[in-house]
Amino acid sequence: MTDTAIETAALGKRFGWRQGGWALRDCTLRLPVGRVCAVVGPNGAGKSTLLAHAAGLLAPTEGGISVLGTTPSAARERMAYVAQDKPLYPQLTVAETLRMGAELNPRRWDAAVAGRIVEEGGLDLGSKIRSLSGGQRTRVALALALGKRPELLLLDEPMADLDPLARHQLMGTLLADSADHGTTVVMSSHVVAELEGSCDHLFLLGGGRVRLAGPLDALIAAHTLVTGPTGDLAPHTVVESRTTGRQITALIRPEGRIAAGWRTAEPTLEELVLAHLRAPGAPALTLTDEGDAHDEGDGGTNSGNNDGETNGTRTRGASV
Amino acid sequence: MSAVTVLSVGAPDRRPAHPTRALARAVLRPHQSALWFWGLLVALIGGGLLWAAGPGFDAAWDAYLKSGCREADYCDMGPAYQRYDMVVTLGPAVLTVAPALIGAWAGASLIGRELESGTAKLAWTQSVAPARWLAAKLAVPAALIVSGTVLLTLLNRLVWWREEPLRRAVVTRDWFAVTTFTGNGTLATAYALLALTVGVVAGLLLRRSLPALAAGFAGTLALMGVLQANRDHLWPVVDTRSSSSEPLWKGMLVDQGIVTASGDRISNVLCGEPDCGRSDVVGYWAQSHPSSHFWPLQLVETGIVVAVTALLVLASFHLLRRRTGGAA
Repeated sequence: MTDTAIETAALGKRFGWRQGGWALRDCTLRLPVGRVCAVVGPNGAGKSTLLAHAAGLLAPTEGGISVLGTTPSAARERMAYVAQDKPLYPQLTVAETLRMGAELNPRRWDAAVAGRIVEEGGLDLGSKIRSLSGGQRTRVALALALGKRPELLLLDEPMADLDPLARHQLMGTLLADSADHGTTVVMSSHVVAELEGSCDHLFLLGGGRVRLAGPLDALIAAHTLVTGPTGDLAPHTVVESRTTGRQITALIRPEGRIAAGWRTAEPTLEELVLAHLRAPGAPALTLTDEGDAHDEGDGGTNSGNNDGETNGTRTRGASV
Repeated sequence: MSAVTVLSVGAPDRRPAHPTRALARAVLRPHQSALWFWGLLVALIGGGLLWAAGPGFDAAWDAYLKSGCREADYCDMGPAYQRYDMVVTLGPAVLTVAPALIGAWAGASLIGRELESGTAKLAWTQSVAPARWLAAKLAVPAALIVSGTVLLTLLNRLVWWREEPLRRAVVTRDWFAVTTFTGNGTLATAYALLALTVGVVAGLLLRRSLPALAAGFAGTLALMGVLQANRDHLWPVVDTRSSSSEPLWKGMLVDQGIVTASGDRISNVLCGEPDCGRSDVVGYWAQSHPSSHFWPLQLVETGIVVAVTALLVLASFHLLRRRTGGAA
């Protein structure tokens, strides 16, 4: 038994032979089992590429990825994947689609779970997939994924087609089910608000690279939102700063004590993400898992350890 | 209500009989309409041929006896014979046309649409490895196609055997006519399987249904055309010489011509007259395949088709492995 759900090492993927056509580059991540992880980033950040690699649908151009302690293809039976466009056979009925799930997952299929999810949406088992709305299709795709009883659930933009009510309800079902069974969930989104409150781990991608990675608590704790009169923020790492008149508002990674003149606040997930998206040049930060459970000092050491990598990223960015 | 719903979804598959059978069912389910079409086609044509081998032929034979037709002259034998003739022409014709349709279907519906719409990804992220998925995609349709073509071929041969006296009395059908040759032997089945693999490779290469439909259709037609055009050369021809210009060959004529005084052999196929307007003709020659060459020609061509099919199967697995990055 392994405690790692997904681990990537310098994973890179290039589509076609174009120079600079990298969808994902230098991606080194680790996700422990049992987490609910959000993969966030703007369109084209590499979120879908990362998930497709984990699902064993793409071969890396460079680097490697392991899932549930083995290769993605060896872990196929133990994970479920819902692609962004929720592909289903339009000519089948809902019941036939679920029966297909049973036939293709003979050792794992849980008809009760799949049936319940479909039923909660008030779907008629006899209706054809092609007659369903986008949201109803999402529900069937999720039923198919959860019916497999996966140890790892990979969801690419799962809630994009759902109205707020259905989104809330389906997310609730999903999280309750994964909490009951200790399922690791990885879901990508570019709507940060839809992830707030449901995730405890974050991967922020941008331009095919990792920008932030780690437990959500530790990532938020490693950042501070400061407001004060214009002045020098050294020695802290400034992710993003905005000046309005004589006021400066900045998201920083504190290095030691923050000077007395600054008002400080803990950033929200949205503020953290948006600041990093607005400042593509900000250094990357990867926090490992041990930091959040134990004392703050440990977390501090971790972020300190990452300085070398941070500088490396900055150097690479400058040389491009 | 809830219990009923859950039961109706889960009950038939609580204990799947066999993973392979379940996979076969899952592969087949999205293609129910194609399955119905093929089943109905085989049943209709098969029924027609059965009728032709029995009452149809009897009626045609009666019509021949009553018509007073003699030898190979064109002769109207009435509606009973025409009905019979239509059915026995249709039987081999369907087997000759089927491969192109199978190629188009395999390219577009079996593979192309799955890759285009992403349902292939859905299948590959269930508990089934992509290679097993492709194996099922090839094996299940292949089994159904072979059942149909073998059945129709056997019925074609039954009719062919039954109508022998009629053929001898009035030359109605030649064994080497394109549809008769294909529909009366192993070739119909071999071409149908070739078409399946052509379509699959086209689908995997093009990944979109409409281009794969065109490629599967055209690719099958092209391969069949090339092989049929070269059918003559697949077995040594029988050489005949004669001093008269009378027909001196039997069966499939490959080439014929004249022997000049200097000993040259010149083909007269393109000439208006047998002697090509020359005065130094000392004899005539012909190259042909007698009807005893049916099986050698049939088996050599089948062997080539099977070899190409096997190569395409290998190519399809190779393409899939490249697409899914060795994850297959």
